[in-house]
Amino acid sequence: MHARLVLGLALVVFAGCGQSSESPPAAVATATPAPSGVLAFGSVSLNPAREHGVVRPFADFVASKLHGAGIGRARVVVVSSLSQMVEEVREGTVDVFIDSPFPAAFVWKHGEVQPLLRRWKRGADTYRSVVFTRRDSGVDMLEDLSGRIMAFGEPFSTSGFLMPKAALASAGLRLVNYEDPAASIPPDRVGYVFSNDAENTMFWVIKRKVVAGAVNADYFEALAGDRLSELRILHTTEAVPRNVVCVRRSLEAEVVRAIEKALLEMHLSDESQAALQNFEETTRFDRFPRGAEADLGHIVALLPHVQEDLGQ
Amino acid sequence: MRLGLRGRFVAFVSAIVIAFGVVLSALSVRAQNERLRHELEDRGKLLTSVIAANSTDALAMLEVRELRRMIAEARDQENVLDAVAFDEEGRVLTDGTVVNPRRHDLIPEAALRHVAGSEALLVEFAGDAMTVTKPVHLGGRVLGGVRLHYSLAGLAEDQASLARRTAMVGAIFALLGVLAAALLTEAVTRPLKEVIRATRALSEGEPAPRLQVRTSDEVGELAEAFNEMTRKLRDTTVSRDYLDRVLETMGECLVVTGPEGTITRVNSAVCRLSGVDEDELLGQNCRDLFRAPKGHLSLLDALGPDGSARGLETELLARGGEAVPVMVSVGAMTPSTGSGSSYVIVAADISERLRHEQQKDEFVTMVHHEVRAPLTAVRGAVGLLEGGVAGDLDDRGRELVEIALRNSERMERLVNDILASRKLDSGRMEFHLEEVELMSLVEQAIDGTTAYAADHGVAFDLEEGVPGAMVRVDPDRMIQVLTNVLSNAVRFSAEGDAVAVRADRNGGKLRVAVSDNGPGIAEEFRDHVFEAFARGEHEAWRHRSGTGLGMSISKGIIEELGGSITFETVVDAGTTFFVEIPEST
Repeated sequence: MHARLVLGLALVVFAGCGQSSESPPAAVATATPAPSGVLAFGSVSLNPAREHGVVRPFADFVASKLHGAGIGRARVVVVSSLSQMVEEVREGTVDVFIDSPFPAAFVWKHGEVQPLLRRWKRGADTYRSVVFTRRDSGVDMLEDLSGRIMAFGEPFSTSGFLMPKAALASAGLRLVNYEDPAASIPPDRVGYVFSNDAENTMFWVIKRKVVAGAVNADYFEALAGDRLSELRILHTTEAVPRNVVCVRRSLEAEVVRAIEKALLEMHLSDESQAALQNFEETTRFDRFPRGAEADLGHIVALLPHVQEDLGQ
Repeated sequence: MRLGLRGRFVAFVSAIVIAFGVVLSALSVRAQNERLRHELEDRGKLLTSVIAANSTDALAMLEVRELRRMIAEARDQENVLDAVAFDEEGRVLTDGTVVNPRRHDLIPEAALRHVAGSEALLVEFAGDAMTVTKPVHLGGRVLGGVRLHYSLAGLAEDQASLARRTAMVGAIFALLGVLAAALLTEAVTRPLKEVIRATRALSEGEPAPRLQVRTSDEVGELAEAFNEMTRKLRDTTVSRDYLDRVLETMGECLVVTGPEGTITRVNSAVCRLSGVDEDELLGQNCRDLFRAPKGHLSLLDALGPDGSARGLETELLARGGEAVPVMVSVGAMTPSTGSGSSYVIVAADISERLRHEQQKDEFVTMVHHEVRAPLTAVRGAVGLLEGGVAGDLDDRGRELVEIALRNSERMERLVNDILASRKLDSGRMEFHLEEVELMSLVEQAIDGTTAYAADHGVAFDLEEGVPGAMVRVDPDRMIQVLTNVLSNAVRFSAEGDAVAVRADRNGGKLRVAVSDNGPGIAEEFRDHVFEAFARGEHEAWRHRSGTGLGMSISKGIIEELGGSITFETVVDAGTTFFVEIPEST
């Protein structure tokens, strides 16, 4: 997951109300005059310079494939919060928004975008989280976590925090954030701290710094290593798409189709695969197998449990 | 290929310098290796300690992500092959990679035991690497530690560089060695070359140059020694030339032979006398040149026990069979090696002397026959006249007869002395030896001279004697000697004086001392007392002088009898003659 962090409701607008940049006319269009259309890619991050550096090559590459749809160049708009992104989309300054399931679902539900495709990362189309504890922790089920403290990964991590927290919350647990793992937790609450790293989470559980932890299910066994037998999985969340591509609803259908076609075909050529790899190890894009509504329904249902955590 | 002194010297010095350089380089490499190794070790230990110190908080808080960052940084450091952070159980927390495949692996038991009991570094070496384990303790609690696998193979690169430097140093040393050797050799051989040049010049007869003495070491000593040698050689050469000239100048023949008599050198006198060239003479044996003296098989056979001989009369055999009479003296010349004496033969041509001898003999014969016989007849006739055979003579006639008688007697003595002297010189005087008592001879001599002494108013005073002492002599000749000495004393005594006669023993000999109170013998005459016809220059005593042959004859006789005659004299006080003769036992 690229470093985009949504914190609170405060909108920090970089360079006024946001930072945007336009690319010069694409080099590929030098044979014939490039179309004048501009496609704007939106991204949320507290580090706009880095984010711009990550998104910009990809945006330019995609734009170069859209000349037929009147798109001659790309523009990247980096904002610091999902709320601002909602505003940017509403005003039509952002045409494409690509993010994790919860941010994507948030903007989808609050703004004028439509989920278009799934984005695979590191060879995975979906992922899920596990909540685990030591076998000798005395925690046999999720409810046993009450009055104790557990660890999540990073605050903006879908698999390390948003998804497991939402799952625990939906199971009826009342989770409260603490800074100190040794803090005293009320019996009707489940305390949690951010370990900021899946490896930290694993060792904190193993070393009994916390009673339980949540990590990406794909990494769990590797993180547990030969101590897997000492651990017990309390809960595994449902699989959710790795990433979601949303497009502005008001974007011309021709352009949307052109974008969809370009993204779906990107993994088919060597040239495009390089662009994908450089874009945070993207593997490919595909359509939602069951449709966006179905595949993102679970996320949308859990969204209220992490609404605050998404900065809203 | 044979190397000269210079080549050997250069090779030797070069070898020493190069060996020195190689040894020095080897020691330097060893020291450098040690230093590099220690530097690498220290660097690895320091790096481990720093990382461990920085990891303390992360270990305490189990901040594995932070640990991963630090360990990753450690892995990026030069020579770090591997790095891990581990917990108090010794389980790996992170190896600095995202994948972290050794997560939860246990570090070696020994390292874990060390971590549990110490905060010190544990350093384990294996091959070209070392593993440094730094325990991390906090408040007495073991948190875990950091373990770095550190390559010392960097040393190999440094060693390669070191080897290049060493090779360079070795090359420089080799260059310096050859240069130093060349300079040193030049310094040593230059004087030697000068010596060689000088020696060659010397051998070719050129004047030897004087070498410069530049140093006070052995080379300087060599130059000094050479200069000294040439100086001595020059002196020797001068001496030899001088000696050669002397030998060529001398009239006598000089022959040098080897131990067996082989002639090795002759002077020109030999060639002149023999009529044979030097080249022909060299290599001959001396017996072919000199006839064997009488009674000997060869000349060298006639040598005494000391290898020498004096006054040997023999003949030199000249070319053509002529024999030249020579007087030969031989000296043995023992070489410094001590073996095989050489002989130096000096031969004088005595042909002339023999001719003179012959003339003397002829003269004596003539005197004997033509003078003595008539003189005897004259003396007899005068004696008859004095005896009155021809009648009484008047005073004047008697005086004349007495004068004639006295002078004829004197002439008879002179003739007798001349004949005796000649007999002595020619070795023809006969001696009839017998045992007689010395004092008897003395008394007979005194008796025989008393009349003569009385005529001069001189008396004999026989002060002491050696009664019974015997001598083996010819009594007549011995009496003749004593008579000569007594009459000589009378002759130089004043009227009224007494001549003291003493006989005693002196060592193993008998001695007869005859003392007068006469004028003594002048200093300038003393060496001529025993020469024939020698007479003192005392005017006052001239009238008493004899024939001048008496003392010469006496000396000749007494020496033939194995004795001697000497004197002591004090001018104006008197003279004592000593006649010594071996006592017969």
